[in-house]
Amino acid sequence: MSFIEDVGKLLRENIREYGMFIALFAIFAFFAVATDGLFVSPRNLVNLVNQTGYIAVLAIGMTLVIVIRHIDLSVGFLAGFLGAIAAIAMVQWNLPVIVVIPFVLFLGILAGRLTSFMVADLGIPAFVATLAGWLGYRGALQLVTTSTGTIVIPNAAFNAIGNDFVPEIPYTWIMPEMHKTTLIFGLLGIVIFATSEIINRARMQRQNIEVPSKAMCILKLVAVSALIGGIAWILAGYRGLSWTAVVVLIVVMVYHFITTKTVLGRHIYAVGGNPEAAELSGISVKKITHVVFGSMGMLSALAGILFAARLQSATTTAGTLFELDAIAAAFVGGVSAAGGVGTVIGSLIGALVMTSLTNGMNLMGIDISYQYIVRAFVLAAAVIFDVTTRRTGN
Amino acid sequence: MEIAAEKKPVVEMRNIKKHFGAVQALRGVDLTLHHNEVLGLVGDNAAGKSTLMKVLSGAYIPDEGEILLDGERASFANPMDARRQGIEMVYQDYALANNLDVAANVFMGREVVRLKLGPLGVMNFPYMEQETQNLLHRLKIDIASVHQKVERLSGGQRQAVAIARATAFDAMVIIMDEPTAALSVAAIDKVLELVCQLKEQGSSIIIISHRLEDIFRVCDRLIVLRQGRKVSDTPVQDDIHEFRERVVAYMIGARDDFAEKSVA
Repeated sequence: MSFIEDVGKLLRENIREYGMFIALFAIFAFFAVATDGLFVSPRNLVNLVNQTGYIAVLAIGMTLVIVIRHIDLSVGFLAGFLGAIAAIAMVQWNLPVIVVIPFVLFLGILAGRLTSFMVADLGIPAFVATLAGWLGYRGALQLVTTSTGTIVIPNAAFNAIGNDFVPEIPYTWIMPEMHKTTLIFGLLGIVIFATSEIINRARMQRQNIEVPSKAMCILKLVAVSALIGGIAWILAGYRGLSWTAVVVLIVVMVYHFITTKTVLGRHIYAVGGNPEAAELSGISVKKITHVVFGSMGMLSALAGILFAARLQSATTTAGTLFELDAIAAAFVGGVSAAGGVGTVIGSLIGALVMTSLTNGMNLMGIDISYQYIVRAFVLAAAVIFDVTTRRTGN
Repeated sequence: MEIAAEKKPVVEMRNIKKHFGAVQALRGVDLTLHHNEVLGLVGDNAAGKSTLMKVLSGAYIPDEGEILLDGERASFANPMDARRQGIEMVYQDYALANNLDVAANVFMGREVVRLKLGPLGVMNFPYMEQETQNLLHRLKIDIASVHQKVERLSGGQRQAVAIARATAFDAMVIIMDEPTAALSVAAIDKVLELVCQLKEQGSSIIIISHRLEDIFRVCDRLIVLRQGRKVSDTPVQDDIHEFRERVVAYMIGARDDFAEKSVA
């Protein structure tokens, strides 16, 4: 058993998961060269992360919706509408940020539950129910902004979510030109990843489950650590970690944990894989549908907040086509339309791939019409890749 | 095994009646299953065998009649309720989630929790995987790893997982609906061996099947239903040809052991 064979075997078995990372890496490498390094400059990377933020949040929620064999078309305008509500709450009702954010998130959950009421309790197909939502929230967004037009948000704390960075540790003399908080975050990330990998490997060995060789394991540890460390280093050289990145990281960690470690996550995938079997096993398909759409509504609200904070205003067209970007990101990230398959990390990568394409092509000055066509090819290629690797898997 | 438990049948269904609109699907059926017995249930289409088993597994509530488990009267609000009381059903289409692995399917809906975080239960993976491994080992089921996704298994292996799941939680009774219907000849052998294995380990089993040779191979006793009534209840004996001839005669209505009762 040589090391090379081991790498080959691991690649073959996990080609679907690693495929996305390889694609993302290739896209980064291509744009880095094509833009003379501009694409990977700290300033642009921060910009890229902040652009990806609201789409990634929506894509994660959408992943779970598609996993349980539904779809949600209403999330774009729902995000726009709730962003406008947040702006109105601060500007016209003079509510503090600390109240506005939970309030808007709560409204998001309510909106999601309205959808799941139609889907789970009334049996309306999600496509139709959420198309109604798409129309309704679009109208609602225009209605609340019609007298004012674009609402400028003067609140610095709120706008920081979309534009500012985590604070630096004051009065330190080591590495004065680097952003220390960001480096600490990076280090923490590496430590957490490494310990969980090592513990997991030890457990699998104890249970006599086949594990990749030690060299392979170390290679993976080094590669991921280098990736996390590299990103942290680049960001620390500029202004550090943006608040948007922090929000997205928290959402990713929470949803990754729920989907992979908890009973709720297991039940979501069981419902997606075989709803009848899940029901017979005592899993309430209705309850799971309520939970998943509720979470989608909450994440829509969060996306609306991120977007409004980034623009420092609520516009009359906020959220237009976000739902399709989120769906595309989820599919690029390996979600299956048949249900039951798709991961949180995959959707995050999918969202990064799609925004990287837009961002990179913008830097290269490529015409917007070509941009759409390129993204069309990437989406189609990702799904074709997914379908063919699945087939050979059988 | 306790002497007391030996005396009372594990399941007794008395005078079960069930209608759907104008159709009388069950016209007063009695069924008894003894401890450690494998009972076959056959009948033509619409004879009522699936309806009877759906009554026993909690999917239907009977119009009339009573069910006794170990001599105690029992009633089931839904399939989950019946499962909690020890009635496990193995469905014809296996009722597995193909996107999940073997261990996840065995523990589907009964995940073991290691830690409770508010409404979120953190699953105990090592325990569930180990238990699944032990289960497969005990039943001599040939599956390489409990981490294998069900979509990668053959039809016979899937049926084995479905049966293993039914036995995982100390069921009193295991009902199998057409366990060999969609399988290759080799896979049928494996499943029938598995049934024998379960009997050796003390399980009580009811098998619905169209395949009389399977019934003949593994069952101790056979009940034939026809038009919602029991027409035969006899031990499995003779050679396969006589057995087949006799059973078919009951199925098409040429013979009926309980004829007077229905007239009365």
